[in-house]
Amino acid sequence: MTCSSCGAESLAGDTFCEACGADLAPPSSPSLLDVPPASPIVDDPTADGDPTADVPRTHLLTPTSGTDGVDLDDEFGVDVFAPCAACGAAVADDGFCTQCGHKARTRREHWTETHGDHVGAVCDRGITHARNEDAMATAVTDAGLVVLVVCDGVTTAPDSDRASLAASRAARDVLAANPPVEGAFAARLSAWERTLHLACRAANGEAVAVARALGDPPEPPSCTFVAAVVDRDLVATAWCGDSRAYWLPDGAPGEQLSLDHSLGTEMIRRGMARSDAEADATSHTITRWLGADSLDPTPEFRALAVDRPGWLLVCSDGLWNEASEPERLQALMADAAAAGATSPTALAESLAAFANERGGRDNITVALARCVPQLP
Amino acid sequence: MAEFQAEVFQNEYLSDGATDVHGVVSITCSGAGIAGQSSGTAAAEVIIVDTSGSMDMPPAKIAAARRAAKVAIDEIVDGTWFAVMSGHTVAQMVFPPHPGLAKMSDVTRREASEAVSRLRSGGATAIGAWITAATELFNQAPAGQRHAILLTDGKIEGEPAGALAAALERARGVFQCDCRGIGSDWVVEELRTIATALLGTVDIVAAPEDLEADFEAMMRNAMSRGVADARLRVWAPQGSEVMFVRQVAPQVDDLTSRATRISPLVVEFPTGAWSDESRDYHVSVRVPPAPVGNERLAARVELVVDDQVMAKGLVKAIWSADTNLTTRIDPAVAHYTGQAQLADVIQRGLAAKSAGDERTATVLLGEAAKLAHDSGNEQTTRLLAKVVDVVDVEAGTVRLKQQVAKSDEMALDTRSTKTTRIRREP
Repeated sequence: MTCSSCGAESLAGDTFCEACGADLAPPSSPSLLDVPPASPIVDDPTADGDPTADVPRTHLLTPTSGTDGVDLDDEFGVDVFAPCAACGAAVADDGFCTQCGHKARTRREHWTETHGDHVGAVCDRGITHARNEDAMATAVTDAGLVVLVVCDGVTTAPDSDRASLAASRAARDVLAANPPVEGAFAARLSAWERTLHLACRAANGEAVAVARALGDPPEPPSCTFVAAVVDRDLVATAWCGDSRAYWLPDGAPGEQLSLDHSLGTEMIRRGMARSDAEADATSHTITRWLGADSLDPTPEFRALAVDRPGWLLVCSDGLWNEASEPERLQALMADAAAAGATSPTALAESLAAFANERGGRDNITVALARCVPQLP
Repeated sequence: MAEFQAEVFQNEYLSDGATDVHGVVSITCSGAGIAGQSSGTAAAEVIIVDTSGSMDMPPAKIAAARRAAKVAIDEIVDGTWFAVMSGHTVAQMVFPPHPGLAKMSDVTRREASEAVSRLRSGGATAIGAWITAATELFNQAPAGQRHAILLTDGKIEGEPAGALAAALERARGVFQCDCRGIGSDWVVEELRTIATALLGTVDIVAAPEDLEADFEAMMRNAMSRGVADARLRVWAPQGSEVMFVRQVAPQVDDLTSRATRISPLVVEFPTGAWSDESRDYHVSVRVPPAPVGNERLAARVELVVDDQVMAKGLVKAIWSADTNLTTRIDPAVAHYTGQAQLADVIQRGLAAKSAGDERTATVLLGEAAKLAHDSGNEQTTRLLAKVVDVVDVEAGTVRLKQQVAKSDEMALDTRSTKTTRIRREP
């Protein structure tokens, strides 16, 4: 969060700016908001008060492919390092390159996930943040279902990196446990809406569990949530906070599928130009998130019938802060492809590199799925 | 089994484009044990007593040397290989009677003491020859800690110039040598050269009656060095330059020129034997700059015993745009930079004084008085007060004393490298 008076970074829970003392906008001021309550899931028998009730404890499932051999759990025990990002040499066990001395990135600070030739994702610390609080979890099931989940940990709440990783994996596992849905389009859409709600609930349950495990700190770890599923010709997405999903079709205008739960969205809703709103220092204040202190951890839902080939992009604000408009993202991807980035993972790395070249002011997560519609 | 710990004191934050990284690595040894007993190889000790003609003038000197040698012999633990030599125009075996080392026991201790009591003076001071003879003795000893005490009262004469340098070249790495000058007719620079080359200490014992206690402490200290040989290993990144590696506590000793390159990015420095003690090293590395936000290791400083890394300290560089971070000076780095300067201005000040350049001497010793005062180095402040009258310590203004005992000047010179440890914040 940034102070609207002086531009200094401040903590999410702060009421006043540390740098200049200006009043900071509260994270969820009802007077500023006109967010309709999330529609209850009337036909969900598990929709009772307990956020984790009857949700399959799918985090016990282990991803069978796609994490490029990375066991991220090492981050919480022994550090495991990728080769030096600056010179490619081996990294010593103290975390510094044996040749150029650059501090190595841990797997938690930068990792990629790749599934086949159509799904690739990267999660990167960026440059100025000390930790990578973003997380992602992706899957392609045996039945061909594509799952992309991104959670952006709230930097100012300690241990949000743990919450975001646990939450994203939990949601992925819920989604990947489902078969493709048969039937009429409207029925399939409803089924995915339910499943995405369950996935979000499972994610929230994990974020809350991290807080519990830490003894319920006053600033509980928290994160945003966005998940997307590709079920043949259907793209379904659900989100909570300001991480986004975009549909970027070949040779046609792209569109942003999600609508941020943020003060910026409220400004746009009240008539402010998108560029002005996104430039406003308070626009990044999110109004929904997952975690023990969330007032409203329910997601919004959006689905789309895909009628032409294109890219599904799921990302954190570390990317869209630098390129928000769908056409800008399409242009960047076209440039990256022209420069030789052909695989989804290479394209995702290109977009993350672009954000880092622009200063890497936030963690960056980019998940891409190539969609070629097939009728069910 | 000895254990080592390393602690790093530094401000790792550099401003954009900055390249010079400083860190103080403090290394502490515990559980060193007794010399020659923990490593499985016996230690070796040689005592070299100057018996040149001048040791009889006054006779109290040779008498004190006999008593001191006996006390030192008493401190050598059983099982240690040892010898006593008398140094004059040549080096002569005192005990054992023929060139070689004896194993310490009740019997050899008594025999050695008797031999020492028969020491007589006569002849010249040929320290180079003594060092060479000691080197030959140590070369017969098993590997392990090898240590000598050298006592002299005069300057080298009776051997060609260059004999000492040649002897030191052969002795380097074979044994460590603590040097003591008795009286004030010896030359600080000669003994400092020996002590520096052979990783030992140098000090003055102005009054013969103080010699016994000094030898006792010196030998007891040598016997407590259970870690026979440790090296300081410094890694610095590709494209960087190690500007200096300096021991800064308990005394200043610039190691930079003693580096042995063991791989393209790694150099090693000998540190000799260790007892339960702490030593601080100031490391300065010039690294290629990296963009703001980057973190890079500037030096990996390790203490190595028998090729095993016993402790490791990391000196880092983090480039930052935050001037609150980048302008901070680490107190340990600042303190030891001052202590090294203090030793330097004292030595140069005394050199100027003895060359008759009183103006330069006054300025430099004034600077020394201020540095010693500001850093709370009370011992150096006391020693300085015997050589200069302090007019204004804050401004660093002093007057050279008209009457100065030569031994006071030598004490200031030899002890100029002794540093005070920084008071560490809890």
